[in-house]
Amino acid sequence: MLHYDAVVIGAGTAGLVAGARLAEGGARVCVVAKGVGSTHLAPGTIDVLGYAPDRVASPAAALPEFMTARADHPYALLGPDAVAESLGWLKARVEAGPLPGYRYAGELDRNLLLPSAIGALRPSALVPETMAGGDAALPGRVAVVGSRSLRDFHASLCAGNLRRAGIEARGLEIDIDVERADENALGLARRFDDAGWRAAFAARLAIKLQADERVGLPAMLGARDPHGAWSDLEQRLGRRVFEIPTLPPSVPGMRLFEILRSALRRAGGRLVIGAEVVDVERSGQAIAAVSTRAGGHDVRYAAPWFVLAAGGFASGAIELDSHWVTHERVLGLPLRGLPAPGEPRFVAEYLAEQPMARVGVAVDGELRAEGAENVMVVGAALPGAVPWSEASGEGIALASGSRAAELVLARAGGTPAGAAA
Amino acid sequence: MTTLSTDVLVIGGGATGAGVAWDAALRGFDVVLVDRGDLAEGTSGRFHGLVHSGGRYAVKDPKAAEECIAENRILRRIAADCIEDIGGFFVTTPWDDPAYADRFKDGCQATGVDCEEIDPALSLREEPRLNPDISRVFRVPDANIDVWKTVWAMAHGAQDRGARVLPYHAAVAFRRDGDRVTGARVRGARTGEEIDVEARVTVNASGAWAGRVADLAGIEGVRVLPGRGIMIAMNHRLVNTCVNRCQMPTDGDILVPIRTVCVIGTTDEHTGDPDDHTVRESEVDAMLDDGEKLVPGFRQARALRVWTGVRPLFEDAKASDTSTRDVTRAHALLDHDQRDGVTGFVTITGGKLTTFRLMAEETMNAVCRQLGEHRPCTTQTEPLPGSEQREHYRLGERLERKEEHLSGAQLICECEMVTRGKLEDAIRRRATTNLDDIRRLLRLGMGPCQGGFCIYRATGVLHGLDGLSAEQADAALQHFLQERWKGIWPILYGDQLRQARLDDWIFQGVLGVAHTPSSDGDRSAA
Repeated sequence: MLHYDAVVIGAGTAGLVAGARLAEGGARVCVVAKGVGSTHLAPGTIDVLGYAPDRVASPAAALPEFMTARADHPYALLGPDAVAESLGWLKARVEAGPLPGYRYAGELDRNLLLPSAIGALRPSALVPETMAGGDAALPGRVAVVGSRSLRDFHASLCAGNLRRAGIEARGLEIDIDVERADENALGLARRFDDAGWRAAFAARLAIKLQADERVGLPAMLGARDPHGAWSDLEQRLGRRVFEIPTLPPSVPGMRLFEILRSALRRAGGRLVIGAEVVDVERSGQAIAAVSTRAGGHDVRYAAPWFVLAAGGFASGAIELDSHWVTHERVLGLPLRGLPAPGEPRFVAEYLAEQPMARVGVAVDGELRAEGAENVMVVGAALPGAVPWSEASGEGIALASGSRAAELVLARAGGTPAGAAA
Repeated sequence: MTTLSTDVLVIGGGATGAGVAWDAALRGFDVVLVDRGDLAEGTSGRFHGLVHSGGRYAVKDPKAAEECIAENRILRRIAADCIEDIGGFFVTTPWDDPAYADRFKDGCQATGVDCEEIDPALSLREEPRLNPDISRVFRVPDANIDVWKTVWAMAHGAQDRGARVLPYHAAVAFRRDGDRVTGARVRGARTGEEIDVEARVTVNASGAWAGRVADLAGIEGVRVLPGRGIMIAMNHRLVNTCVNRCQMPTDGDILVPIRTVCVIGTTDEHTGDPDDHTVRESEVDAMLDDGEKLVPGFRQARALRVWTGVRPLFEDAKASDTSTRDVTRAHALLDHDQRDGVTGFVTITGGKLTTFRLMAEETMNAVCRQLGEHRPCTTQTEPLPGSEQREHYRLGERLERKEEHLSGAQLICECEMVTRGKLEDAIRRRATTNLDDIRRLLRLGMGPCQGGFCIYRATGVLHGLDGLSAEQADAALQHFLQERWKGIWPILYGDQLRQARLDDWIFQGVLGVAHTPSSDGDRSAA
């Protein structure tokens, strides 16, 4: 049996933030997870509030009204200050992180509008500096550069939709030799880490560019040293270069994972991935311990506090079974936001709001799970949001992860409780 | 208006209609084949994929059983490349009347359906996931068929002999010259353009829609009752042999392994509207429960997609003989010269996919009678294009080919092993902007992720070819997403809901498909 001050379940953005901030506050923390979380799938941007439901120009301005109008939304529990504070924390951790020179740009005051791989403009509050040059507010024409070798990015389609949105853009293709015809962005990102390869790429690209064009490339500009790769390309091409997120695996998302993991470890926190929670020990209204299984080996973790950051339906932490019953599978907690019996769970129009979309673990005003007084719920496990259509997922993850850490630390009296190992 | 002149106009591009076109072309007729949608988009493309051995009908309908086994043998020869020789079991489960098994055995013997009783223990060795409580097992020569491949092979074979094949062309009016039908006016769904097709004989092969088409021609009393059934594709082959319940045919009693999935079917419910594709939760539950009876643990597997098909059940309101007034599963050939005194028009409806070739043969025999020409049918022996080698499809063929050139060919759809080259070929050949047409042709997006990864890629490829505008590409993507959603939301549970949510993140989160300029009602707020 391992004893911690807090055990965080789930290693997506919310879990890693909660773990890092608990550790920074002096708690002995272990983050256990079945696998890596949302980071590897998401674009790596911090979307705070993009649609409410009209496109949001300024999250800072829109949030107070949004919170009032949607009392059941996670943001209503968290408050605007928690969002702003957590964004500041993240920026600082990026700067102090393992990727030299890599920064996040943007403020809560104004959403940047960045092209997606299909050329739709996505509103994001905070984005990797390597993407910021794609902001629709910036002047200059855009050359979207793809390669036939990368099946996960289609430059001319992206450019075509940007033109429809009023941005002068064209798509062009550049040959990249690949070993495998089904190379993905991560494979190519590793090449961009190589200065020699990058120089040759820049030379081939430069002759295809016109004056005053900025260059949009799929998000693959370096895995180990993205700042180096990106600034080198900007310098060599003598213009703005920016990354455009595309299909998973997400290179900028992996960078964010590295940054958060590093923050956790530097503060003394532990991360165990590949450890699925298979058993829960309850003690009255509290969770006493959880057991994880990895490689056929069971380990028990006991703690006075647990943070549930295991995600929602996408991760499998919440499940609708074939008898149409919905469960929270990790700790067996009650849910909120379910359609009433007999009401439809889904509707026939794909892009309409689906009745099941807002299901999450029932919590009180301080993120505490109903039926388990020492469990804090964060991220996509929270009810009330439709993060993929609100463009709010990372904002909720960051703010709720931060807030949960703060609440746990405060309740533990500022000093770690139960520190005995 | 464009005008075409032909010998035989076929209305309806399902298996029967395409079969008629192929049969007619082989007999040397000039043919025009039209369908209001894509070929095999209706009932033919909406079944479980089983080529019956005849066992299902051995007790209830011996004539149908005889037809099935005869056609099963013929299809194995002529459409070898479209067929996988999975074989079949009829199994007596604890829920089945044990006395039926002997009647089944006798029925098979009487109708010539090859049937061998085997030890249930042997069947469990072959199919370890089968319910261990089965008491009797009979082996029959079931097969599965890729119906889209079959229909397109016949269409291409007919085209090679001069036929014109026009999907997305609906008949909007008939040409009549007194008591003679002389063709029809068809309208292109995509262009809106009308074509006047003059034909010596017009064949109504529109299946569940045959009554409507006959009405349009001014022929009364052709009543086709659409019998609606649901089918669910599970995410992998829980069995590799077709498994049938050994009982009188009923709902949810067949599990057919086909390509990378297996399909459970079906229900039967009369519906007023052949275009009614409603799927009810109670039906889904019933299918899953029936699946559990055949393969315990069925509910733990992922349900990939649900669809409904409508069987054409024919009822002739004009027939004087009461026996034929019964609604029948057998096919019905109506020679409107004999029935209504209207020449140049023949209706073929009813029947089942297994006997489509026979239906086509009988139809063309009637056409020849009307034309007073004797041209013998050769579809029993002539292999379809692509099936000349007479080798059956094997699961793993695509993987085998891919492994030979692992690094050479870019895969667009990993689930179904569709390469970029194949995709580009298909887009060019079909000259289509509809990714669903491509799906039916290549199985693109039919695997476990239901297009989650390949459809953005395919949209990009589609846009890159033939100068499609970004607007058209967005529309193609959104159309595909909406169509796939129709087939998945009624069966979303378990890991498939997880998959769907991942796809929501990809399409709505990462790509922002709801906010491309065409679809975006975006107004900035705050």
